[in-house]
Amino acid sequence: MTSLTVLDGGIIGIYLLITMIAGVAIRRYVRRVEDFIVAGREMNVYLGIASLAATEFGIVTCMYAAQNGFDKGFAGAVPGLLTFGAMFLVGVTGFCIKPLRDSGVMTIPELFEKKYGPRVRWAAGVVIVLGGLLNMGVFLRMGGDFLVNVAHLDPDYLEAMMTALLVGVAVYTILGGMLSVLVTDFLQFVVMSAGLIITTFLILGKVGWGPLVRAVETHHGAGGFNPFANPTMGWPYVIFNALLNTAATLTWQTQIARVLAAKDSATGRKVYTRTSFFFVARWLIPGIWGIAALALLTPEQVPQNSLLAMPRMLGMILPAGLMGLLIAAMLAADMSTDASYMLTWSSVIYNDILAPFRRTKWSEKKGLFWNRTIVALIGVFLLIYGLWYKIEGDAWTYLGITGTIYLASMSTLLVACCYWKRANNWGATAAIVFGAILPVTVLVLQKLGPWTAWVKDNEASCMIGVYAVTAISMVVGSLLKPQSQGCSEGGKS
Amino acid sequence: MTAIVHGILTMLKDHWFWGAVTLVCLTWYSTVTIYVAIRGIADIRSMLRRLSDDKP
Repeated sequence: MTSLTVLDGGIIGIYLLITMIAGVAIRRYVRRVEDFIVAGREMNVYLGIASLAATEFGIVTCMYAAQNGFDKGFAGAVPGLLTFGAMFLVGVTGFCIKPLRDSGVMTIPELFEKKYGPRVRWAAGVVIVLGGLLNMGVFLRMGGDFLVNVAHLDPDYLEAMMTALLVGVAVYTILGGMLSVLVTDFLQFVVMSAGLIITTFLILGKVGWGPLVRAVETHHGAGGFNPFANPTMGWPYVIFNALLNTAATLTWQTQIARVLAAKDSATGRKVYTRTSFFFVARWLIPGIWGIAALALLTPEQVPQNSLLAMPRMLGMILPAGLMGLLIAAMLAADMSTDASYMLTWSSVIYNDILAPFRRTKWSEKKGLFWNRTIVALIGVFLLIYGLWYKIEGDAWTYLGITGTIYLASMSTLLVACCYWKRANNWGATAAIVFGAILPVTVLVLQKLGPWTAWVKDNEASCMIGVYAVTAISMVVGSLLKPQSQGCSEGGKS
Repeated sequence: MTAIVHGILTMLKDHWFWGAVTLVCLTWYSTVTIYVAIRGIADIRSMLRRLSDDKP
């Protein structure tokens, strides 16, 4: 077992110091709300790739992808292949993201107002914020669990350690907004990638490809390589993940914020196309770590919760120095994710939920003050909800609900907004309502009553149903509205 | 060098699909990290320069 050495501490300390200095120094470039929310729309391709990749890989991602590798073998990396396909196609074709960026809006709900009217914009903002905030509520504790297990730290320090980390991230995000996020994301991408690549080569060198394959064959059989042969996956799992990842590619706030911060739609599309393959790495690299835990840990060493198998394995095999690099890499991953989540969701609160209070134009100074205040309040929420409040039950299911509540309806609204003339506020409202109610119903049925076992066995099929019903609601609702009323609210419908 | 070539051949022979995806993934990620690290600095500089020029 490796514990932290002075060398490890030095690497971590230098990384944190450089990040904080860079993040805070950028604040002087922020003069307008547009600088704060979308970096003055000056983001170019390579900075966009670094920022998107750093944001979309947090400790939480690493933990779940590794758990998938441990529990499902190589087949557990299938969501990464599906995300790659979705993002590549969206980037190449510009599907939805081109009209979105060309419209000049700062958030997706702002685009919705042009088609569906101000009420739908407000409701969409509320759904996005609820889904997003509840989703990111689990990040801090998961991050802390990883660090405690991998570095054999005292669990009593978890809260204090993650609080200090969040305060640091909040300081530069509040001061520099998206500009600080982009610059620190760049540093974090480099450190994170170095840590991920070196650790993976170390694992492949120490364990070897053959033993990894053998471990998957022994524990999972053919289902460890083929999702369709895996009893816990199958066609519904693959279709659900294809829908989920396509919806996330189109509407997940942290991803779409990069398109909106890009110089133009062509830059946004290039960022998507060139980052798409990163999503294979995002699932496969931690997946291989999870498989290595399967190969290396004895049955006595496997923790009750398979989520903790990978960090436990890393704590056993990493040498001094590399441990510091890995922890710096994971801190980088978590900081970039936290900063971006705080900023992009606060931008929806400011731009869309507070829109009714900004009927008369606010000064840039007042706008910046409120944006910074909202980021700070989200930081406080994360601290209380995500760290000091322990979530009961299965965290995967929790992430599933909060994600689908938002993704099913917002992706339907966006596609219809961009490509269907007849889409209107009746259809949009129906899609938001059904898109929110159905996933919650599925989860309630999963916990209560005679349907529990059936719903658990058919979870992926139920979630496919949520996407289908949400889309049908949009179509039926829009067609039901008399066409003479079409222009009354949305303007263009 | 021989060990590396042997390792790559083993990866392609033993469940070639996942071996090939892993090899492509590690090669792509290593290359992109270095490339983005270099080009990203230029992007940051030009972004900050444009923002400075933009200000009153």
